[in-house]
Amino acid sequence: MAHGTDTSHGHGDTVVDHSHHAHVCSFQAFFGIYVTLLFLTFVTVAIAEPVSGLHLGSASMLVAMAVAAVKAALVMTVFMHLRWDTAMNNLAFLGSLIFLSLLFLFTLADHSTRQVADPIGGTPVEVKRFGQD
Amino acid sequence: MGHSTIVTPTPQGGFQTHTVAHHFKTAEQEFQSAKLAFWLFLATEVMLFGGLFAAYIYYHDVYPETFQKGGALLDWKLGALNTGLLLTSSWTMAMGVRASQLSQRKQLVWWLVATVVCAAGFMVVKYIEYSTKYHHGIFAFTGLFSPDDHYAPDLQGLAYPQLYFNLYFTMTGIHGLHVLIGMIAIAWLIWRGAQGRFHSGWYTPVELVGLYWHVVDLIWIFLFPLLYLVP
Repeated sequence: MAHGTDTSHGHGDTVVDHSHHAHVCSFQAFFGIYVTLLFLTFVTVAIAEPVSGLHLGSASMLVAMAVAAVKAALVMTVFMHLRWDTAMNNLAFLGSLIFLSLLFLFTLADHSTRQVADPIGGTPVEVKRFGQD
Repeated sequence: MGHSTIVTPTPQGGFQTHTVAHHFKTAEQEFQSAKLAFWLFLATEVMLFGGLFAAYIYYHDVYPETFQKGGALLDWKLGALNTGLLLTSSWTMAMGVRASQLSQRKQLVWWLVATVVCAAGFMVVKYIEYSTKYHHGIFAFTGLFSPDDHYAPDLQGLAYPQLYFNLYFTMTGIHGLHVLIGMIAIAWLIWRGAQGRFHSGWYTPVELVGLYWHVVDLIWIFLFPLLYLVP
């Protein structure tokens, strides 16, 4: 990356700096991503239990989130240019997602291990929840 | 050269020259500094919504039926329409940033206008959804939650039905606020863009508002299936 300044176009003590170069995506690339995003939205709706009546059980939410994650990845890498961005900018944003996944992971771990969280003498203790008898 | 003014290249066609702030060595350094700071701001946005998503994950796990029946009271067609509108606006925004990189002044303005129109459409749909729910006694906050005969039978016997709707109104409310702020920012870009302020030599505000707008889209990509299509 050129960091020098080019005085050839300068007037007096004004210096024209050509150091900034950007990656420019093609129309086709952006349009292709856009169409893919619309298609994945259609997939999300088509396989959703309340719309299609498909019974995927506990996989239903996982599939919906997996499709959403693919959509998010397309927006981030192409629309947000992260693919061509600096390592520092990638770290700043992807780092937040890593910490977010920790938050989700421990929230889920807490809930899914609730009933065995407080064993007495090796026997899991049933923990009652609010709103449930 | 110590006191010389650094400017970025200005293309032909009535564009305004950008002067690099004196504490930056190069135009590239100025651009990257602004961008890194903005990515850090976007990381805090992820954390803001992340807390709400964590609340959703937890309560959905505890009261799956409340979320399923609550979500069934939303119109998934309106949610899908809004998803289409936001995805379209994300594409037009990306095209707007591209137009500014290529010094296409007219195209920049029109892509941004298309973005604001889609955003306004999103807010109109959101208004229709909110007002319908409000008139039937469904709103955030305990005092405003008293579903009328239209909705009450569907919520009969559910544990804490307002739990789902509190999350729905909080998440979509904060998201909608971000859409409104984005519309104001894009309107400002249109105004300055029409004046020839943004071009290949300097388009930092277009780039940053673009990134912000894509994050607004990113959050909705997850909100739509979580709120409208609860299995």
